Amino acid sequence: MPTPPSAPPSAGPDADSGAGSTAPGGTSDVADRIRYLDEVMAEIDAEVRRRRASGDLPAGLERELDELFLEFSPVGLQGRARLRETLSLVDGSAYVDIAVPTASNKAVGSYIKRAMRQGLGWYMNFIVAQIVKFAWSVSRMFHVVVDHIEDLEAAVEAHRTPDLPSGAVPTASDGTTWWAPAAAEALAGVTERVVVADCGDASLVESLVAAGVDAYGVDPSDVALEPALDRGVDVRAEAVLDHLEVVATEALGGIVLTGSIQWLRPNERERLLELVASRLAVDGTLVLHSASPGAWAASAPAVVRDLAPGHPLHPETWAHLLGSRGFAVRATVTGGDDRRLDRVGEKLPEAGSVNAAIDVINELLLGPTEYLVVATRER
Amino acid sequence: MTAVHQFVPALLPRDATGDHTRALRDALRAVGWESDIYVEAAHDELQHEATYFEKYPDRARPGDILLYQLGTSSPVAEFLLGRDEPLVLDYHNVTPESYYEGWEEHTATKVALAREQVAALAPRAVLGIADSAFNAAELETLGCPATAVIPILVDLDADHGRVDPVEQERLATAHGDATVLLFVGRISPNKAHQRLVEALWVYRRLYDPEARLHLVGPSVTPSYAEAVFAFAAELGLAGAVRHGEGLTPSQLAAWYEDADVFVCLSEHEGFCIPLLEAMRAGTPIVALDAGAVAETLGSAGILLSEARPATVAAAVDRVHRDDRLSAWLVDAGHHRLGDFAADATRRLFVEVLSGVAAQEQVVA
Repeated sequence: MPTPPSAPPSAGPDADSGAGSTAPGGTSDVADRIRYLDEVMAEIDAEVRRRRASGDLPAGLERELDELFLEFSPVGLQGRARLRETLSLVDGSAYVDIAVPTASNKAVGSYIKRAMRQGLGWYMNFIVAQIVKFAWSVSRMFHVVVDHIEDLEAAVEAHRTPDLPSGAVPTASDGTTWWAPAAAEALAGVTERVVVADCGDASLVESLVAAGVDAYGVDPSDVALEPALDRGVDVRAEAVLDHLEVVATEALGGIVLTGSIQWLRPNERERLLELVASRLAVDGTLVLHSASPGAWAASAPAVVRDLAPGHPLHPETWAHLLGSRGFAVRATVTGGDDRRLDRVGEKLPEAGSVNAAIDVINELLLGPTEYLVVATRER
Repeated sequence: MTAVHQFVPALLPRDATGDHTRALRDALRAVGWESDIYVEAAHDELQHEATYFEKYPDRARPGDILLYQLGTSSPVAEFLLGRDEPLVLDYHNVTPESYYEGWEEHTATKVALAREQVAALAPRAVLGIADSAFNAAELETLGCPATAVIPILVDLDADHGRVDPVEQERLATAHGDATVLLFVGRISPNKAHQRLVEALWVYRRLYDPEARLHLVGPSVTPSYAEAVFAFAAELGLAGAVRHGEGLTPSQLAAWYEDADVFVCLSEHEGFCIPLLEAMRAGTPIVALDAGAVAETLGSAGILLSEARPATVAAAVDRVHRDDRLSAWLVDAGHHRLGDFAADATRRLFVEVLSGVAAQEQVVA
């Protein structure tokens, strides 16, 4: 365990406080406190990783807790069990009992109540029959609606794509790939935390940290993260959607998206964009790396192409989706393997026609294999 | 004579904004200024200290400065928009409506209106006073021409926090040696009480199977409060989650004193007075870095970047188990409180409002 700074914390504001006077202990005192708390926090993170690795915290447990809570919310009625449970309450309430209790503390009271019940029975029967008829009609309507919803759910489930083989899931490119310098340049000067999604072995995280960026990584694969954990890099074993769900609003200064974002289901992609737009601070930077659709279609393994729930988008599509959520695209850079055919020499016969054909092939089939979009959250 | 009159939607006793408004009025009067409080509504206890806001035009004097305590929607905002006097906003933040959507539509509508009123008033004000840089940034974004960060006036005198021994004994008897996590704040979706329940569940699973969670605060969003407690019951925590509301200051002090760790996982806070109350009580703090929490807390607590229950549970365990860390945090909290001392805050208010008065005289 780290040792607390020997000097007591000084009065006065902390590094970025908006109130109060200057700490009498000076900046080194503040730095000591921050360093100590950082060390404590690192040990807390290590404890969480240890618990996860030991199986004390099964994967998905925390997500299950979140989903369970949703079942108790007014917006959580989509749960089938919850629907049926609520419906049974409606059914139970649809019965109206006309046998009014006649018990009383006083003997005469009970007599009067019985007399009233008998005297008014014909009237109550007439009214209650209509109420019950209405209630059962409403209940019947709810049953039809719930049946219909369950049919729809079954139909949606039928279209669910099977999981990809684990080996087919793309891992993030490491920090030495063509786009790492561009990502580091885009994030230079960001002072708030930066998360790298699908970080793999966290090489990119390390290169960002070396450049002075307060970066950490997330990746759903424990195996992929092992080298990073061995090196003591700040990484967490979880999917980017799960992670962003629990990050505070506007807490991040930068987000790097790569890897599985290329083939998210449409609803997952929408959710990801919503989370990115809310977790990233205004003026925060989004770096998005993806395969080009054409290159992906030409080079991805057949199993991936057939079973992937989604497919890579064009950079223009990302720009459109991001623009509608308050982002401004600052740059789009293409790169990756250059598979384009070389043009033939102009002196060769029919060179003009051949080169025109080569240009068309390059444009349609063999363009840049990857691209990087850099965007800023403006509102 | 300088006159700064305050407007506040509701003047309530034992309420942060109400206490702040009255303390500020007293501070302004203490330096010889005129200062009255105008309200849309006042609690019976405070009727004699407040005047209905629509009576102000009959009492208006040249040179008056109007100061609006802004934290909710009110017709007072529309009234002030129609006045010509220099306007100062004292902004305590409005929770975004998105937190209430799906829970209580009428509350979502109300806070949306409040945010519209903030947006209309901000450019009209000569100065925006905010109790945190987080709140000041919101005002600036909405076009407020100048802002100043001054903490809310909180009575942190030791006497105010005297502990009710009967309440303290009652709490201690109920939970024995179990670890007690405490959060104080209204039960509302932006406070993320469900995350506290999740953290308790994980904490009991990993560290202390007898641990308790104490929640203090009014259930201002009933559907959310019902969901939180039903969720706790579903997890088998019905007996481990205890709710307190309507507590006297000394009873509240007993709940703080009784707790082992104060845990705040709020997702949106404009200042968070309970953090200061926990510091005063000597209860170590674990908090999510959201809204103004970091700047209020300083380094007097463990600041989490995420509210994942395993992380929260590990942090609580660390603070509870590491006596040196716990003592260090408590010590840091006591020192941090010095930055919010009422005397200094009163002086800041007078200084800033003197500047406004001088500026308005020059303009006149």
